[in-house]
Amino acid sequence: MRAGARDAELHGGDAAGKIRALFGRSPLFRSLVIGAWAGLLLLPFKNVRAALLLFMTVAAGLVLLYGARAFGRTEAWKKSAFRALLQRGARSVSPYARSSVLPVLLAVFLVVPLAVKDYYLDVLVMAGIYTLLALGLTIIVGFTGLLNLGFAAFYAVGAYAYALLNTKAGIGFWPSLPLAASAASLAGLLLAIPALRLRGDYLAIVTLGFGEILHLVLNNWDSLTNGPNGIAGIAPPSLAGFSLGALRPYYYLVLVFVILAGISVVRVKNSRIGRGWIAIRENEIAAASLGIDATKYKLLAFAAGTFWAGIAGALFAAKMRFVSPESFTFTESGLILSMVILGGLGNPYGAAAGAFLLVILPEVLRDLQLYRMLILGIGLVLLMVFRPQGLLGGRGGK
Amino acid sequence: MLTLRAVHASYGPIKAVRGIDLEVHKGEIVCLIGGNGAGKTTTLMAVSGIVKPDAGSLFFKGECLNGVPAHEVVRRGICQVPEGRRIFPALTVQENLEMGAFLRTKDFSRNRERVFTLFPVLKDRKNQLGGTLSGGEQQMLAVGRALMANPSLLLLDEPSLGLAPIMASKIFRTIREINEEGVTILLVEQNAKAALKLSHRGYVIENGTIALQGRGADLLENEEVKRAYLGE
Repeated sequence: MRAGARDAELHGGDAAGKIRALFGRSPLFRSLVIGAWAGLLLLPFKNVRAALLLFMTVAAGLVLLYGARAFGRTEAWKKSAFRALLQRGARSVSPYARSSVLPVLLAVFLVVPLAVKDYYLDVLVMAGIYTLLALGLTIIVGFTGLLNLGFAAFYAVGAYAYALLNTKAGIGFWPSLPLAASAASLAGLLLAIPALRLRGDYLAIVTLGFGEILHLVLNNWDSLTNGPNGIAGIAPPSLAGFSLGALRPYYYLVLVFVILAGISVVRVKNSRIGRGWIAIRENEIAAASLGIDATKYKLLAFAAGTFWAGIAGALFAAKMRFVSPESFTFTESGLILSMVILGGLGNPYGAAAGAFLLVILPEVLRDLQLYRMLILGIGLVLLMVFRPQGLLGGRGGK
Repeated sequence: MLTLRAVHASYGPIKAVRGIDLEVHKGEIVCLIGGNGAGKTTTLMAVSGIVKPDAGSLFFKGECLNGVPAHEVVRRGICQVPEGRRIFPALTVQENLEMGAFLRTKDFSRNRERVFTLFPVLKDRKNQLGGTLSGGEQQMLAVGRALMANPSLLLLDEPSLGLAPIMASKIFRTIREINEEGVTILLVEQNAKAALKLSHRGYVIENGTIALQGRGADLLENEEVKRAYLGE
C-alpha cells in the first residue's frame, strides 16, 4: 500500500487526473460542482433545505478558500507590511511557526471555552486526547515505519495504570501521570523486543495480537481490573488545591499536554533521532550502512510513541472517572491509525488534523445516525484515491 | 589496512564464503571478481558487519572487527555502498546526503561540496526526490552519500550494475578520483574487465574461496581469467 501511494504521489494518479479534467480549471466552477455533489449526497438523509444549505456553505467556503489562496499569491500581498507584521508576530510567539497559522489556531483554542456549549467542549477534549494518541502513533508508524495495529493497548495501560494507582493506592493524578506514562512505555518496549525481528505485515500481526491479549487480560482479570464492569470512582486531577474536574479547566489541561506533545514530536522529527527513524523507515539496510543503530532507534520509537499513549490514557481515565476494557478494543487502534494516515503519514500536523476530523465528523454527522459511518467510510476511501499522501501531505524528510 | 584471515560466512543455510584471506593496503583500489554466487557480496557484508562470519578473523587498522555491529563499523571508518543502491527514494538528494553524515556531529558542508564537485548533476538536482533520479544518478547519490561519512575505506558493491556503458565508465572514473583523494577502495564487480583495469590488485573468487590473486594488469593478461571472466 505504501509503495503504491508513493507511486501515485510521484506520477499523479490517472483517475485523479481524469476527474480533475472533468471538473474544469475554473475555481468558481469547481466550487459549485463540489458543493452540488455534497448537497446531493445529503439529500437522501435530510430535506431539500438542508441539502441547499450544505451546497451553499461548501461552495461559498471553497470560493473563499480559492480566493484567499489566489490573494496570498499576489505580489502586493507578499510585499505588504501587514504580512510581514503577521509573520514577525508568529515567530515571536513560537519559533517553530513557519506561518501565522499555528498562533492563530492557539488563540482560537484558548478562547473557545468562553464561547461554546459544554457538549462542544467535551468533543474538543476528546479530540485533544486523540491528538495525543495520534502524535504518539506518528512516531512509530509515521516516522519509523513500524506498522502498529494494537496501539490502543498502550492507551489502556496508561488509563488502567492511573485508575488502579488512584483507586487502589490513593495516589493522586500528578504523581500517577509519570508512572502511567512509564508503564505504557515499558509495555511498548516489552512488545518491541520480540517485534524487532519482524517487519511489515508480520509486525502488524504481532501488534494486533498484543492489543487483543491486553484487552482479554483486562476483561478477565477480575480481581485486579474488575473485568468488564471496569473501574469507577477515579479522582479528577487537581492543581494547587483547585479541582480540574470541571469541563473548562480540564479542557485547558488537555490543551497544555497537546501543545507539549506537539512541540516535542515536531522537534524530535528534525533531530538526529528523528533522522534516524526516517532512515529506518525508508530503508533499513541503507540506514545500517550509514551507521544508524536500527535496534536502538526502533526501541526508542516504541518507547517515545507509547509514552504519549500512556499520557493520553491517564487523561482519559481522569476525564471519564471510569475505565473499562470496552474503550480499548481493536476498533480504537484502527481509529487512531486512520487518523495518522488520514492527515498524512509522518506529518505531526497531519496527525492532529486527522484526530480532530475523525472525532468531530462523527459528532457533526450524528443526525444522520447509522448513515454517518457509511458517509465517513466513503469520504475516507475517496480521500485515499484522490489524495493518497493524506490531508496535509506526509512522508518526506521535512 | 584491512585483513581477512580464513573467513567463513554463510547466508542462511548456504555456506557462501569458505575460508577467504585477503589484504587491502592503504590507498589501494582492490577488486573482487567472480561469477554469480561466488561469495563476493557476502565477503563485503562480513566486512561491513551486516553478515556475521562463522569463523576466521577480520582486522581493520590493527583492530579486530569480529562481532562489531554494522553501525559501529561505520563509526570506525568503513562505509558500504550496498548492492542495488538503496538510496532513500522519498527524501530529496540533499536529505539523502545529510543522512550519510548521520554520525558526524561537526560541520560537514565541505564533504557536501566535495560530493557536488565529484557529481555536479547531484547539485543541480539537490531538491529533487531521490526516487525520481535515473539509475546512474541514483548510483552517484549512493556513492556520494557514503562519502559524507568521511570513510577511510569505501566498500562498493556492483557500482556498475544495470547502468549503460557510458554511465558505468563515468562511475569508474569517479571511483579513481575518489581513490586519488586518499580513500581506500574495496570493489565487488561483475564487470571484470573494467574493474581490473581500474584496480591496483584483484582477487578472483570461486565457490567461496580465492582462486587467483594478483595485480590488476596481470590478472587482465591471465589466460584463465580471460577465458572464464573476460570472454576471450
